[in-house]
Amino acid sequence: MHHRPRSSGPTSPALRTLAVALALLVGIATAQTTVNYLSFTTGSEQLDALEALIEVFESENPDVSISYNTADFGSYFTKLQTDFAAGNPPDVFELNYENFVTFASRGTLLPLDDHMAASSAVDDTTFYPAALEAFARDGVQYGLPITFSTVLLVYNQELFDDAGVAYPDDTWTWDDVIAAADAITDAPNRVWGIAQPVQFWEFYKTAAQAGGGLAVAPTVQIDTPENREALHYLVDKIQVHGVMPSDAEMSGVGDIDLFVNGQLGMIVTGIWMFDHFITNADFAWDVAVEPGGANKATHFFSNAAVVANTTSVADAAWRWVEFLAAHPFTVETRIERSWELSALSLDNADALQPYLDRPVPANRQAVFESLRYAVTPPVVDNQPQLEDIINQELEAARLGLKSVEQALMDAQRRVEALVAQ
Amino acid sequence: MYERGWRRYAILALFLGPSLIGMLVFTVGPIVASFGLSFTNWDLLRPPRLVGASNYAAMMTDAEFWRTLRNTLTFLVGYIPLVITSGLLVAVLLNTRIPGMQIFRAMYFLPVVTSWVAVALIWRWLFNPVYGLVNNLLGAIGISGPAWLFDPNWAMPAVILTSVWKDTGFVMVILLAGLQGIPREYYEASSIDGANFVQRLRFITIPLLAPALVFALSISLINSFQVFDQVYVMTEGGPAGATMVLVERIVRNAFSYSRMGYASAMSWVLFALIFATSLTFYALKRWRS
Amino acid sequence: MKGALSPASGAAPHRAARPAWRRLRLNWRTMLVVTLILIGGIGMIGPFAWAVSTSLKARGAMLVLPPELIPAEPTLEAYRQVVSRFPFFRVFVNSVFVALATVLGQLVVCSMSGYAFARLTFRGRDTLFVLYIATLMVPFAVIITPLFIVVTTLGWTNSYVGLIVPGIFSAFGTFFMRQFFLSIPRELEEAATIDGAGTLTTFLRIILPISGPALATLGVLAFMGTWNSFLWPLLIISNRMLMTLPVALSTLQGLYPGQTQWNIVMAGTVLATIPTLIVFLFAQRWIIEGVAGSGVKG
Repeated sequence: MHHRPRSSGPTSPALRTLAVALALLVGIATAQTTVNYLSFTTGSEQLDALEALIEVFESENPDVSISYNTADFGSYFTKLQTDFAAGNPPDVFELNYENFVTFASRGTLLPLDDHMAASSAVDDTTFYPAALEAFARDGVQYGLPITFSTVLLVYNQELFDDAGVAYPDDTWTWDDVIAAADAITDAPNRVWGIAQPVQFWEFYKTAAQAGGGLAVAPTVQIDTPENREALHYLVDKIQVHGVMPSDAEMSGVGDIDLFVNGQLGMIVTGIWMFDHFITNADFAWDVAVEPGGANKATHFFSNAAVVANTTSVADAAWRWVEFLAAHPFTVETRIERSWELSALSLDNADALQPYLDRPVPANRQAVFESLRYAVTPPVVDNQPQLEDIINQELEAARLGLKSVEQALMDAQRRVEALVAQ
Repeated sequence: MYERGWRRYAILALFLGPSLIGMLVFTVGPIVASFGLSFTNWDLLRPPRLVGASNYAAMMTDAEFWRTLRNTLTFLVGYIPLVITSGLLVAVLLNTRIPGMQIFRAMYFLPVVTSWVAVALIWRWLFNPVYGLVNNLLGAIGISGPAWLFDPNWAMPAVILTSVWKDTGFVMVILLAGLQGIPREYYEASSIDGANFVQRLRFITIPLLAPALVFALSISLINSFQVFDQVYVMTEGGPAGATMVLVERIVRNAFSYSRMGYASAMSWVLFALIFATSLTFYALKRWRS
Repeated sequence: MKGALSPASGAAPHRAARPAWRRLRLNWRTMLVVTLILIGGIGMIGPFAWAVSTSLKARGAMLVLPPELIPAEPTLEAYRQVVSRFPFFRVFVNSVFVALATVLGQLVVCSMSGYAFARLTFRGRDTLFVLYIATLMVPFAVIITPLFIVVTTLGWTNSYVGLIVPGIFSAFGTFFMRQFFLSIPRELEEAATIDGAGTLTTFLRIILPISGPALATLGVLAFMGTWNSFLWPLLIISNRMLMTLPVALSTLQGLYPGQTQWNIVMAGTVLATIPTLIVFLFAQRWIIEGVAGSGVKG
């Protein structure tokens, strides 16, 4: 250290900062309008796809350049909120349905109705209605849905054949699932009938299947007879029927891995796993709309692109939102790269046909049929905490630390306290 | 100081200025801000709202907070005696005149310099109930091991064991330095008197090692109140909240729930615990001397 | 400290005079000690060896029961996967750069402030110093929320600056250097002052050249602390290209939801640990003495 000339130490970090600042300035000077875009897409294949979208967008809109940044889902909302707190939010960003409510209710988003009315590319009929409605609040449209995905029952046809059980179809109910799972399960050889995560997402849906449902307004409804029945269905598969591996039996091996290894007859999972199964499963498999209890109910996940109300480049931002939501190249790219699906109205069958034409799984139609039964989760101001509370209680029930009744009673009490805050 | 007049201030500014500004912006400022924030509700999207001491009051009735506190203390009660004992044992063994001791010392110290994330990942895999080495070794001697990180009763012991494994070398190095300060003659004299290993440990080593032991103990205590990395990587506070600890909850409240005020209040409770511990040790030192 | 681990020289002739049976007992005892140390040593090295072994297994071989201690068919597949699916080299360079820059900054800032507290006289010096020491007692968890907001406001999230700068101004470093400077005899500086040298010249020409060991120890502690730092980079870095090793490593296990890729995770762990191992082997003495003297684990 002390052999060096005095000046080298303190100046080098400063020089580096200066260089970074200069590089940034040059970047800004060369484009007329820059739209900052924040996304929770982090997979490298998806990022390649995103860059391909940006390239096409920029060639069609030479006056705009897109500067994107990503954060994984775990840290995404913290980053976004601190960006708002610090007064430099991105111009356009991605929001899922649950967190959309928080941002819309706090007045941080730009209303898009005028832009939409003036648009030649999109209108009310472009999108799947439930997806479009999900991103409106008090009659104001704040976001355009850019993707949707659903959850299905995926099954290993070979294990079904071996057990002599008929494949699942639309008429199946919970009882059929348990009967089939029971026939398939061979626990000593580490083969189980089904894996269905016991967590918030599965629970709100199963609750709806039972004829109940989670609600937080006007009153908290968690501990209800129907919901108890739903949670019993989830945990009894482990604790009573023994057709689903417990945490200890899974031993840190994920359910996706178990399925690909041929150790699971059925798995409840999302359409985003299709490509992984196509590449890695060396057995025949197919999908079905999820069986219900008293009712049928399925997940509906949708993400939107929204514009911050502080943006100074509203027009360019809107064009990017529009492009992300419905541009033919986007729709095509999403199908090609298996990057979820554009949330287009089912009338746009032409655009979605390439998706249905793919050979595996054969019953791709189930992806769209599931939309008929879609239910959405309850949403509160502090969504992550709501989900954590419910997940903790569900985990206690899953591990057998609490009875189903006790877990739901505790969840009810804790969520009431959360809502009262 | 040689300089006079304005030069004097220039020299002072040069030497102390950078550090002072940095400390103000990155340490003292945040400390003051954190204390202030603990009396507000702030979700980052809307301006902070003053709420008096209600965050502290809410903590008193928050079952999750008490659970967190209890878990942190469980960690401490399991970890401290084990790490001090194993560190002392290794230090005494290594304080022998055998060539190549430095290699052994390095061996025990390796986990200390390895990042917590790497260590936690390795031990997560070792503790795997079915495929992990721990349960397979236990199985080889006829013991059916628990599900460790997947079992609410065994997750905390697993985290404690991992922490003891990582920090034994740290305690050992501090105690070894202390041991080497004990004059050799004491041992020579005692072996002439026919004292055995245990007697010498009890009557010479431990009393003369007291300052080093207290030092190792106080640092280990203060660190264990702040346990985070291993919990975050190994269990994320699970299963079913069995390993939720203070810092993990502070980070979660601040950065997942956007409850900046509540997280700050919790962090001041953590500070109070550490402060009380330091004070106790300080008083103990004064009282002894 | 040098020679601290070798036997005290005064004892040697004493021992030579002992009867033979006594030496024998010593040997027996030595054997016991060595055996115990070796058993413990295996416990220390074993987990690392298991990580290496797992990293050399193919996907299927990893889930074989009972586990193979040494892979029957070793493969570098897991390493190829880590390197191809993850910008590992980039992450490694990030870690090196951030750690070195922090060390450099800390050495400059702390040696100067440490010198100010040791030798410069000004009003309120001791009060200020006590304040510095007091901040050492405040856990990082207390300042993390406001610090995060400060750094976000400065626009430093997802940047090297955000990783480096907050780590430079260390109260511990100031304290450590001050204690060292106080141990230097004043006569050295007084001689220089008589020759007409100013404070800065004295500091650069007289003090720094003899501060090598202290700077090395502080540097090593700062390096280890930054290299292994997890929580802070976890919070402010989301861009994969700017991640440091521990953060990148922690994302490996969540990279494939629902899937177990322990061979890949272990390959990443081994790759991330090798540099630590090399640095440790070269700087062992400073690291161990620094830790023993300060109680700082980094």
